[in-house]
Amino acid sequence: MTLSAIAQEPIVEEPSSSDPFDIYSAYRRILSNENVAVPLAAILALSELVEKSRAGTMFELVEDLNKGAEALRQRSSNPIGINAGSELFIAFVTLFPHESESFVDLKTELVKQGRRYAQEALTYRDKIAALTLGFIKDDSVILTHSYSRVVMQALLLAHQRKRISVYVTEARPGGLGIRTCDALTAVGIPCTVVLDSAVAYVMDKVDIVLVGSEAVVESGGLINAMGSNQMAIIAKAANKPFYAVAESYKFHRLFPLSQYDLPTHTADILAFPRSSKRPAASVPRPSVALMKSIPTPALSRTSSTFMSELPGSTMTPEQRKRNPEVDYTRPDLISLVFSDVGILTPEGVSQYLVGMFAG
Amino acid sequence: MAAESMHPESQRHVDNLVSRLRRRQLVGSRQTALETVLVLRQVISKARFSHIDELIGMVKGVGRRLVNAQPKEHTVGNTVRKVLHHIREEYNAVAKGPDNTAKTAFSIANFVLLGQPKKQTGTSRSSLAGSTPHEAKESDGFAQGLRPVLMEAIQDVLDELETVYDNVSKNAKDHLHSDEIILTIGMSKTVEAFLKSATHQRQFTAIVAETGPSYCGHEMARSLSSAGISTFLVPDSSIYAIMSRVNKVILGAHAILANGGMYAITGSLLAATAAHTHSTPVVVCAGQFKLTPLWNLYHEHGALDFADPRSVLGFEEGNLVDKVDVVNPNYDYVGPELVDVYITNDGDHPPSSVYRLIKETYDDEDHEL
Repeated sequence: MTLSAIAQEPIVEEPSSSDPFDIYSAYRRILSNENVAVPLAAILALSELVEKSRAGTMFELVEDLNKGAEALRQRSSNPIGINAGSELFIAFVTLFPHESESFVDLKTELVKQGRRYAQEALTYRDKIAALTLGFIKDDSVILTHSYSRVVMQALLLAHQRKRISVYVTEARPGGLGIRTCDALTAVGIPCTVVLDSAVAYVMDKVDIVLVGSEAVVESGGLINAMGSNQMAIIAKAANKPFYAVAESYKFHRLFPLSQYDLPTHTADILAFPRSSKRPAASVPRPSVALMKSIPTPALSRTSSTFMSELPGSTMTPEQRKRNPEVDYTRPDLISLVFSDVGILTPEGVSQYLVGMFAG
Repeated sequence: MAAESMHPESQRHVDNLVSRLRRRQLVGSRQTALETVLVLRQVISKARFSHIDELIGMVKGVGRRLVNAQPKEHTVGNTVRKVLHHIREEYNAVAKGPDNTAKTAFSIANFVLLGQPKKQTGTSRSSLAGSTPHEAKESDGFAQGLRPVLMEAIQDVLDELETVYDNVSKNAKDHLHSDEIILTIGMSKTVEAFLKSATHQRQFTAIVAETGPSYCGHEMARSLSSAGISTFLVPDSSIYAIMSRVNKVILGAHAILANGGMYAITGSLLAATAAHTHSTPVVVCAGQFKLTPLWNLYHEHGALDFADPRSVLGFEEGNLVDKVDVVNPNYDYVGPELVDVYITNDGDHPPSSVYRLIKETYDDEDHEL
């Protein structure tokens, strides 16, 4: 379902239906659209909730929205994007000055605003790509992490005007880096997948590091797929610029003081197994081939595969569950944040957050 | 096109300035800024426009020509941007009065950009875009009424430029203590004024580095000692060696970049790095007209201005000349992490808030003239 199709759906006041509005299925349905990021999907899901809500006053509406956001949060393993989008929308709803005569009109207006924003937000990636273009020199080598739609757009735009080559990390266990490599090679950009552990090895060959983001937080730090913090630390040590790209709906009012402050850090992350039973005895490991038979595992792969099909020893699902999905990168490691609101120093991000939420 | 609608006399002034800039007959940040303002004042006073967008287009066109004549002289572009900002501000102040458009330009995008609705004083931009067709008929009246207001605004810019040295040196005595040893480099009029104004109440020693290959440090040393400041002139090579005895490093800037870094005379990076390793504070004195909305820093050599290589290796060296490639950069890029504070004519600011100053002083759409 394309986004414009969603936006053009007639806005009708539903008579009280028998089943309650399932926000999570709406959210998943919206998320099935490739181009929609998690915070945007949350905003659209909440707009749908407003449309279907039977609240009669602002107080009830905000309560419904909060309950909806909570429902989304609970069913998602990584709630950070959802939090960013829902907080933005709820703050907007609360502060929206209106001249509507009735509450129904107000709700209609809110839904319209939500959809209009989502449509506009789809143009943000182009804006950001245009900003990034100025910082990519001709013939430069770019290092990126995992798969990010914004970074992809920036690289594709740069490829039209300049010569670039790209190193991308594998980004285990999801293996999204391979997807990036395939997409870039398909348009003719020379691209190589490097092991996550080879970032330090490759850093001296790299001119700039460009990563996407799940959220940019109030401290100016970055929340992104696991491995970004590592990359930032190594880039700093090698004196290479580290740029993050983020649309403005990813600005989130969170201030983590350490990695373990993130909402994704639960008790079983990095926990030591309680039983002393060796896992190899109980769970059949994926096929264990000898390492020397695979000289360059990354290059010989032609399509993205799940890790369990890789010939080689890999982690068991239990071991993988004890590893987190995202990490936090400190603001002093980030050179600049490219966003649709402009080029920001990490300190500049909090200005927008304060304007929205603190005022 | 805007060029035709420009008065021929203004055209002449612009051409004059363009050729002087191109031939480098006009050097020095403040001087170029002053000349640019005068030319813009001329252009605006003689301009005929029926709508504000025409005026803005005209000024932008002039600005583009001036910047292309001498792209390394950033104050030209900055002054043009500042004038454009004033034009838009004055126009919005007048335009918002009579009509009560304020038709809801509130959207989530605006919410992110401008913050909470009740704090929005700047919906002007969006309401301007939305109401141009409505105001097209009335703009004639606005245009005529706008000219004296614009002239006043430009006079403000001119006054600010003329009082730069006084304003920067206002709090000099608070920044310098008695019996301090200051290191400075190059010949910066701002720093000179700063130090001279402090010497009335404080006794300090100044160490001036020669600043090869132009050796403008000599002129600075002469000027400071004539003001009664106890001055030492040292070669550039001893900057690191004496840094342990220095209490403060005071530098001038050619341009302040949006990320808080700056372009300063060659040798400044040497002094700033030496100061950084000794944890000595680095203070930069510069007027706010040097604030440049320039981010693109990584085309290192291309961004710098180059001077005559003869001062490094002259033709009298004979057979060495064609065997050696001589580069004589005019400026160094000093990163924001090496500077502690910028003392400007409008207050003191740390490098991390320079981006905010730039946002307040210039409009986003003018970054690319």
